Amino acid sequence: MRSPLIHRSPMPGLGLSMGITLTMLSLVVLLPIGALLLKGASFGAGNIWETVNRERIWAALFLSFRLSFFAALFNLVFGTLLAWVLVRYRFPGRRILDAAVDLPFALPTAVAGIALTALYAPNGPFGSLAAAVGWKIAYTQWGIFIALIFVGLPFVTRTVQPVVEEIEREVEEASATLGASRFHTLRRVILPMLMPAALTGFALSLARAVGEYGSVIFIAGNIPLKTEIAPLLIVIQLEEFNYDAAAAIGIAMLLISFAILLVINLIQVWSRRRIGYV
Amino acid sequence: MSDATTGKFRSATEEAPLARWALIGLAVLGLGILVAAPLIAVFAEALAQGWKAAVASLGNRDAQSAIRLTLMIAAIAVPLNAAFGIAAAWFITKFDFRGKAFLITLIDLPFSVSPVVAGLCIVLMFGTNSLVGGWLVAHGYPIVFALPGIVLATMFITFPFVARELIPVMIEQGRAEEEAALTLGATGWRTFWTVTLPNIRWALLYGVLLCNARAMGEFGAVAVVSGKIRGQTATMPITIEMLYNEYLSVAAFSMAAVLTLLALVTLLLKTALEIRHADQLASTRRH
Repeated sequence: MRSPLIHRSPMPGLGLSMGITLTMLSLVVLLPIGALLLKGASFGAGNIWETVNRERIWAALFLSFRLSFFAALFNLVFGTLLAWVLVRYRFPGRRILDAAVDLPFALPTAVAGIALTALYAPNGPFGSLAAAVGWKIAYTQWGIFIALIFVGLPFVTRTVQPVVEEIEREVEEASATLGASRFHTLRRVILPMLMPAALTGFALSLARAVGEYGSVIFIAGNIPLKTEIAPLLIVIQLEEFNYDAAAAIGIAMLLISFAILLVINLIQVWSRRRIGYV
Repeated sequence: MSDATTGKFRSATEEAPLARWALIGLAVLGLGILVAAPLIAVFAEALAQGWKAAVASLGNRDAQSAIRLTLMIAAIAVPLNAAFGIAAAWFITKFDFRGKAFLITLIDLPFSVSPVVAGLCIVLMFGTNSLVGGWLVAHGYPIVFALPGIVLATMFITFPFVARELIPVMIEQGRAEEEAALTLGATGWRTFWTVTLPNIRWALLYGVLLCNARAMGEFGAVAVVSGKIRGQTATMPITIEMLYNEYLSVAAFSMAAVLTLLALVTLLLKTALEIRHADQLASTRRH
């Protein structure tokens, strides 16, 4: 027998809570996204392809995705290390370090953007150090890379931390009793347990980085084909009132984020089957 | 630890002290460069010409109007999203219906959409060229390049914050307390105010805190819908961009410092909540 759409319940407020939820969800999120898709549909798949299939746009999409991938990879390693240190070790200042991990979530992206640019510009404290060895960071792809690391930093740490907290010491003791070195235990016992959560964090960090705008545009330099990110292209098209082209690029980016979202869900299904939590 | 092995003995589930301190050192160094340095840079640049110049730059008319606008946007968007969050959490946790997982996915959707794409969606929906937007403009209610559009864009970006914090907490608390109140004859509203709300107040505050920080700092989506009209639709983050592009570094970083202070206060309150009410928050009681 098919289950009813909504089960009968003695709880009050069904109409009100459902009404508010669906109305606001539609008005704020679904209708605007629908407007974008509608614009794309009326523009036509062929036209979208023609708009997107240009060297400058491919370069921007590829740059955004590639640098986001590497930044998320950095965060995967550093974020896992951070989660381990914050949960397992006790040292002065641990609380501050733990709170500091969330700063990229709390700091407005435009603020992060100009602050990073001030640091890594050729006359900034870090930029001048790098310039001494002939390394230019701000206004190159390195600058974008650093900004993307900044915005994605908290994701891996925050997804891995609860998993580290739940690891039972007995597992590690068993491994040690069986003669494994500490490094061997970490690599073969602990790391596989952390992997699903870490990969989820990686995907979240990647999704955030691909769409990031505020913290990147100041440090990027925004040179077409070299340091131009995909979201900037949308802004440029909109400033020229070229709504069709903006919608075409927007749909391409929407598809990328949906693909990443799908991967996140697949990772979670896979890890639930394999380990039983996360 | 026995005296005979002092200094030599170490638990089998611990790393060697050297490795431990190396990892802690790496964590501190990494966060120092990635997080602390930008923080210091904001204040150093703001105070590059002394306190007076920094404070004076915040006193001019455009800066004042930007601060007022940002406060107004947060004052509209955050309560609306809080109301949505409570309603959505109530609907999702107190009733059983088909498609619940799909609904949660839809609510989470804004987290995975680029802010610029979010702004673009609002422009396409309510812009002068669109059906709805054209009609509204003709009747004197412009949405895009005006306050309503900025509020909508901000709400889109911060949409899931409160709901996402409340849903796990309310799932864990179950329905028994509300059912007891109803059995004893309380009305629906009375049950909500005296049973549910006290149970979720810290989680609600936590969600509102994060929602507010993001609402005041949103840049990408607002940049697309605001039109960046100085003194009218330029929020604090937009003003930072305009000042920075005009090479008014002290003014740009002074305004950035105000937002940074807001971020620091948010983190402080958030950490305090996590320490004092850990058992009533979703994020500190995972699984």
